[in-house]
Amino acid sequence: MTDTAPTVWELPPKPTNRARIALIIGAIATFTTLTCLPAIGGVELDFASLVDNWRNGARLGREFIQPDLSFLPRTYRPMLETLQMAVVGAGVAAVLSVPLTLWAARQTNPRLATRQPVRFTINVVRAVPDLVYATVLVAVIGVGPLPGLITLILFDIGIVVKLVSEAIDAGEHPYMEAGMAAGGTQVQVNRGVVLAQSWPFFTNQWLYVLELNVRISAILGVVGAGGIGRLISERRAFFAYDDVGAIVFEILVVVIVIELFSNLVRRRLT
Amino acid sequence: MTDQHEVGPGSDVSGPTSWSIHLNDVSVTYPNGTTALRNVSLDIPAGEMVSIVGLSGSGKSTLIRVMNGLVPVTTGTVAVGPHEVTHLRGRQLRQLRGHIGMIFQGFNLAERTSVFRNVMVGRFADTPTYRTLLGVSSERDRDLVFAGLDSVGMLDKVWTRASDLSGGQKQRVAIARALAQGPSVMLADEPVASLDPPTAHSVMNDLRHINGERGLTVLVNLHLIDLAQQYTTRMIGLRAGEIVFDGPAAEATESNFEHIYGRPIKSNDKLAN
Repeated sequence: MTDTAPTVWELPPKPTNRARIALIIGAIATFTTLTCLPAIGGVELDFASLVDNWRNGARLGREFIQPDLSFLPRTYRPMLETLQMAVVGAGVAAVLSVPLTLWAARQTNPRLATRQPVRFTINVVRAVPDLVYATVLVAVIGVGPLPGLITLILFDIGIVVKLVSEAIDAGEHPYMEAGMAAGGTQVQVNRGVVLAQSWPFFTNQWLYVLELNVRISAILGVVGAGGIGRLISERRAFFAYDDVGAIVFEILVVVIVIELFSNLVRRRLT
Repeated sequence: MTDQHEVGPGSDVSGPTSWSIHLNDVSVTYPNGTTALRNVSLDIPAGEMVSIVGLSGSGKSTLIRVMNGLVPVTTGTVAVGPHEVTHLRGRQLRQLRGHIGMIFQGFNLAERTSVFRNVMVGRFADTPTYRTLLGVSSERDRDLVFAGLDSVGMLDKVWTRASDLSGGQKQRVAIARALAQGPSVMLADEPVASLDPPTAHSVMNDLRHINGERGLTVLVNLHLIDLAQQYTTRMIGLRAGEIVFDGPAAEATESNFEHIYGRPIKSNDKLAN
């Protein structure tokens, strides 16, 4: 074996974007620094308090990680309410999301005049934070699970319609041309084939919002919108962090179970 | 996947009539400025089997799509059977499309659903939208779907998911979808370009039977010259959006093809090398 010299390739110059990366990093660093300077209206970050109060945190954390499991029986009913809200909310949103999604996607609704209002409304619905919905709806409807449920439905529709309509628009749908060539209306094509073809997009997002709903509806009770959140805020007000720990632990278990379930379903989807 | 079968009788449910096609000085310029057809005039009598030959980008796909209004003409007129395609809108255009079957290079099936539901697409034009929305089909629609599948030998796959079929089977389902329309004209846009040679022949055979036994006018886009000569009686050569050849397919010579393609004929211009 003779040692052959490595081939020297005559390459065109490799495009470099180091300058751009440096610029982006620089911009982010500058922006971060500026927003942390209270003198020019940045957020005031008192890192000293982190050090001063760490003992508080430690005590709190100690109680927190020693949850009082004997408290659990009192949480079952509110937890059930949370789960009901999550499931019913996801279910209602799933049904409503189907026509809205097909309305909002360009490929399933080529008419700008009917597509744009739907998209705009969905964007507005998405722009409002869930706790704002809950707070306002509690003020309007009153304390209880109903405002929470409506909050979840609005929140879920915003997510499903946006994500699935974008997924539909990003895809290729040659079967739609066949449906049009056969003399179908857009609605017939959507219902007859697009829906069947987009099913996995929908189910994926429905399962995702079901997971989100459990997490969110655990908090909604804090503003009086039903579910286990009310209990969290009550126990926290009594500084009963061992109880709060038990509740958080319970939510963790429920969320994991739901995730396992939805992973199982997802794996069966193609 | 080389099983031979006949597009048999007994599947002729509604007794469709065959339609002629007339293009008068048709030009198509797409919004991006590309001119796909230039002053094309064409008369195709009812019941003829015609191939349209040309390189990709020659305007074959556009030519076939102006006939069912999938591509609107920029100038000129298109008449299919008793209808003036260029003047039709909305409901009337959909009714016309219902009389024109179409198959595609990529089969254009909804892969995630059953063969049955795919073929049911062929019944759209005669189905009120609310019925499709509710997902209910009439006895007659089902009969036409089964008859269409039966005539391409795919009835046993009726409940199969489309994605589980082979390429040739998918194209046959697509043909069944078109036949379920009870069409008067059959358009085929490069129907065998995604298929292996034996399957390509069996699909071309299906089209020939549709022409022969049902008497339908059949237009096939092809880029393989031996298929055009073997299966069609008349050949139209397109080059850069203009008709550069129109005559009996069997009589087309090598130099005719070189004129259509604008270059010497290569071995991959034929299916059988």
